[in-house]
Amino acid sequence: MENPRLEMRGIVKTFGPVTALDAVDLVVGRNEVHGLLGGNGAGKTTLMNVLYGLYRPNAGEVLLDGQPASIGSPKDAIAAGVGMVHQTFLQVDNYTVTENIVLGTDVPGPLRLDLSDAKARIRELSERFGLTVDPDAVVEDLPVGVRQRVEILKALYRGAKLLILDEPTTNLTPQEVDDLFGSMRAMVDDGMSVVLITHKIRETLSVCDRMTVMRDGRRVETIERADTDAEHLAEKMVGSTTDPGAAVDAAALGAVDAEKVEEILSSVGTTTAVAVRDLVVVNDQGHELIQGFELELREGEIVGIAGVAGNGQVELAEALAGVRPLRSGSVEVSGRSMGGLATSTWLHHGVAYVPEDRHRDGILPTASITENLVLGSQRSPQVRRRGLIDWGAAKQRAVDAIAEFSVRANGPATLVGDLSGGNIQRVILARAFARQPRMLILHNPTRGLDIGSTRFVYQQVRKATAAGCAVLLISEDLDEVIALSDRVIALYQGSRAGEWQHGSVDAYAVGRSMTGLGEARV
Amino acid sequence: MGEITEFLTLMIPAMVPFLLAAQGTVLSGRAGVFNVSQEGLMVLGAAVGFLVSFKVGSNVVGMAAAFAIAGVFGLVLAYMTTQLRLDQFVVGLALYFAALGAAGLLYREVIGVTMEPPLIPTLEDKPIPLLSDIPFLGEVLFDHDLVVYLAFAISVAIWWFMYKTRSGLAFRSIGENPKAADSLGINVTWARTWSTVVGSGLVGMAGAYLPMVYTGLYTEGMVAGRGWLVIALAFLGGWRPHLVIAGAAFFAGMEVLALRAQVAGIGIPHQFVLMLPYVATLLVMVFAFRWARQPSFLGRNYDRESRLVG
Amino acid sequence: MSDTLTAPPSAASGPPAGPGQRPRRVVEALWLVVPYIVSVVLAFVVGGLIIAAIGRDPFAAFESVLTTSFNTRFGTIETLHKWVPVLLCAYAFAIPLATGKFNIGAEGQLLVGATGGVALGILWSDLPMVLLLPCVLVAGALSGAVWAGIAAFLMTKFQVNEILSTVVLNFISFQLIDYVASHVWPDRGAGHPATTPVGEGALLPGIGQAPPMHTGVLLTVFLVIVIAVFMRRTSTGFEMRAVGANLRAAQVHGIRTSRLAGAGLVVGGAVAGLAGAIEVAGVHGKMLEGMQSNFLILGIIVGLMARGSMLALPFIAFGIAVLEVGAGSMQRTAQVPVEMVLIIEALILLFLLLSDIARAKIRRH
Repeated sequence: MENPRLEMRGIVKTFGPVTALDAVDLVVGRNEVHGLLGGNGAGKTTLMNVLYGLYRPNAGEVLLDGQPASIGSPKDAIAAGVGMVHQTFLQVDNYTVTENIVLGTDVPGPLRLDLSDAKARIRELSERFGLTVDPDAVVEDLPVGVRQRVEILKALYRGAKLLILDEPTTNLTPQEVDDLFGSMRAMVDDGMSVVLITHKIRETLSVCDRMTVMRDGRRVETIERADTDAEHLAEKMVGSTTDPGAAVDAAALGAVDAEKVEEILSSVGTTTAVAVRDLVVVNDQGHELIQGFELELREGEIVGIAGVAGNGQVELAEALAGVRPLRSGSVEVSGRSMGGLATSTWLHHGVAYVPEDRHRDGILPTASITENLVLGSQRSPQVRRRGLIDWGAAKQRAVDAIAEFSVRANGPATLVGDLSGGNIQRVILARAFARQPRMLILHNPTRGLDIGSTRFVYQQVRKATAAGCAVLLISEDLDEVIALSDRVIALYQGSRAGEWQHGSVDAYAVGRSMTGLGEARV
Repeated sequence: MGEITEFLTLMIPAMVPFLLAAQGTVLSGRAGVFNVSQEGLMVLGAAVGFLVSFKVGSNVVGMAAAFAIAGVFGLVLAYMTTQLRLDQFVVGLALYFAALGAAGLLYREVIGVTMEPPLIPTLEDKPIPLLSDIPFLGEVLFDHDLVVYLAFAISVAIWWFMYKTRSGLAFRSIGENPKAADSLGINVTWARTWSTVVGSGLVGMAGAYLPMVYTGLYTEGMVAGRGWLVIALAFLGGWRPHLVIAGAAFFAGMEVLALRAQVAGIGIPHQFVLMLPYVATLLVMVFAFRWARQPSFLGRNYDRESRLVG
Repeated sequence: MSDTLTAPPSAASGPPAGPGQRPRRVVEALWLVVPYIVSVVLAFVVGGLIIAAIGRDPFAAFESVLTTSFNTRFGTIETLHKWVPVLLCAYAFAIPLATGKFNIGAEGQLLVGATGGVALGILWSDLPMVLLLPCVLVAGALSGAVWAGIAAFLMTKFQVNEILSTVVLNFISFQLIDYVASHVWPDRGAGHPATTPVGEGALLPGIGQAPPMHTGVLLTVFLVIVIAVFMRRTSTGFEMRAVGANLRAAQVHGIRTSRLAGAGLVVGGAVAGLAGAIEVAGVHGKMLEGMQSNFLILGIIVGLMARGSMLALPFIAFGIAVLEVGAGSMQRTAQVPVEMVLIIEALILLFLLLSDIARAKIRRH
């Protein structure tokens, strides 16, 4: 390529014994949206963190506009015209939009704080690129879509010529995704370059000029948009497969249109497993985040909850798992009313919960696999002998679980905090399934997992439904929800905003309902 | 009226150790370093301040030496938590012990066992011209030793730095979200290091003030838990320098009240009167932890390359 | 503290290891012990440099520090008598720490426990030993539990930081025992705030002669076993460790976390209170100001050095007791101030912390 904006050559990065990047090359041209495509764990974000100075590479070189750039910190990257929007927003929650944007920049003078010039500049930038924000709003009060605009403005304010967006569509509705892609095109037309990190093939096809596919820390291929299609990219990204359920997996990974998948994962029975009536749940601040929610789940059925993060998903999941008290309404599991019972009682009555934040809510990082598998059943008769915990038997069960769930670990004494995200999720699933659950609540169960582990999760869900377990899948990944669920329910501001049967789902209709624009109120 | 004037006039210097140490705690705390070695640093500051003043014959040099030695301890805390990422509480406690040991060792080495305890001159009052002539206010506020004025000036300076300057905006963001600050090119390690060194130095100065202000004597238990109360004070003030001033007035007021009640002999055994500041602290904390905000990243180390954070 | 759950339970109760596992076990054991040895050696080297810098003989100093406990029967008994309160205060720190809470209030709990014990020992001084002695010990434990219970209550009900509340309660307890020793049961002839002696039946019987060892030592050994079994094998012990390892995850899995964290503080307070009662019944025969010595600090040091292992506590506490007993004779024979030992202890702790980093670096290669 003639005169590229960015060239990365032979980048190597290791974390302890793990090689995250193995001699990766990347070339990004001027006026180009470049897709960086791969499953989780492929090394996309790591590569960009190297470019942004967050990680120091073990080897390799970076050239910007043909000049060797030595980037040792984000400060160097910013000075070299590189901006990055991270997956989790790097914002100071109690600062205003303007304060967040000017943080770390040189204006105004060091001994005084005057933000009026900065505000004018922010207004001008947000108009030029269609990124509407109120400069005086405190960011913790803003919805996800707007906070993302703040992140983009932060980079533009610093004069970024190359903007990196890390999985920017994760929490956006289809409509917001279209707006974002529009802004990206406006930037490229303005002379910038954009790198879009994503694991969704359709996204790269719809907005990118060229794409680089990564797998296992290596670059697989760089290809022009015109020379490729979804199937080719899927094969490069995943490797070819003929497994049962492959179509569902492909859809959930965003390789093909989820709406068109005919195959059904579950085996729906006729008995009602879970009945939720007029449920009201409050968050930690006492606000009603779930209002009058109704739900019926049959044995072996998968119901998906689609929604933008922050519309009550956490509260719904925790309430149905017995972790968060019900403000009012009822939850029945196999005909038993669960309201007001202790969390441990819910567990014993067959409710299993796979929380969204694995590290925070799911594991004891400094404890062994054996101990983590005992967690939650430490008072049950299977675990105890003569009033004391029988660690010998627990260890044996852990050895079996490691084999059954193919956890990659040195043995049952391995500390769970030392495992990779995929293996942690396997331990959590092993613990959930050991109790033969009647209801399984999965909240963003594949977020951050590599492709192998994602598939493994789907296989386990299939197994659970075959055994008659009802599954509630709460996910911000719309493709995943649509591909896996027998029924899809849109959640908006704590209430149902629409329901669709498998096979008749329209992603845009779901998206409208998720943002309160849908007509199909139920 | 005379009673109130006298009470306030005593309260202002009693605020000084609380102010200096609490502002030092707040300074490093807003960058995310939660120092728990205050009690030890104040004891060490008192010992070093006293010994240097005694040997050199200058309270100013004594105070500077206390600032310096406590600053060195702060540097160790900063290095071990920012560079080596050791647990802040544990390192803080270890430094607390080391400081206690060092204080005892130094006093014994320099003074040894004596019949007559050595004395240093106490700080002189320096009334501010004109201002000290204002009735009531002049007597209460502007007729004290120089360290009193210095402590208030430092409090105002820290407040101004944090809320009125560009660097302060960047500085405070480190305690809220160091990853965000780092991604914008703000040097987290440097900010944490200097603020911990300066903050610890102020704690040492707070200790050095104790032997210089009242008796001119150094005694082993003279810090009497103030180092711990200072942490309570930082929480009570929501880690904001201007509210810490108000909180310091409360703690100092309790202390003066207890002393005066003991002297006046109000019929209650003096032990219960002396409990007063501590009981009041407990009660106040019941409210402090309800509404007072604290930096989101207080007490947590930041590791840029950690794949678990964020 | 992040490493509260490190000891793999399989080591204690798993099936017998195959022959292939043995070398790995030995290596693992070495990884546990070597840092302690290296840290102690380094701390003594640095301490020795300081001693040399102030113009004393480090070798003479260390000789008396390390041998006093073993040269005479008196030294050995004194060491064991010191071991009891140091270890119990270490448990008072380490048990709440298992749930992630810092109890900096062991000296207050010890003093209030001593007050509870001394109260019964004086009020019921006519009772025979079989009745009075258990009453005194139980009263001590209960008083300590109540004192820590104040902090636990403030923590669970009002989210008051337990570090601050437990520390502040120490200072209140100083005034409390001063009041008891100078107003309630004062011993006017003591020349120092102290209570009158407790009844004969309140004293722990001694073993051997010149000097006798009090049976509180045996009681402590028994307690070591009880606590080890409790933490490793009971459901409650497991739940406490789970809370310490990850509060949120414990909550999500049905553990009532705030109740357990509060319970941890109360149990810690009970152990410290028992230490106070044992000091009254075994060492002093009364309560006196200053009897808390520096047990709080030593307990914290031991608790931090053990790094989450309840099994390591008794051994580390014994090592610290040896150093403390040696400190006095070091001051007499080598003219090195006793505070040098506290500095060495702090250095051991710091080097231990550093060893974690060194170990992680070495293991990576």
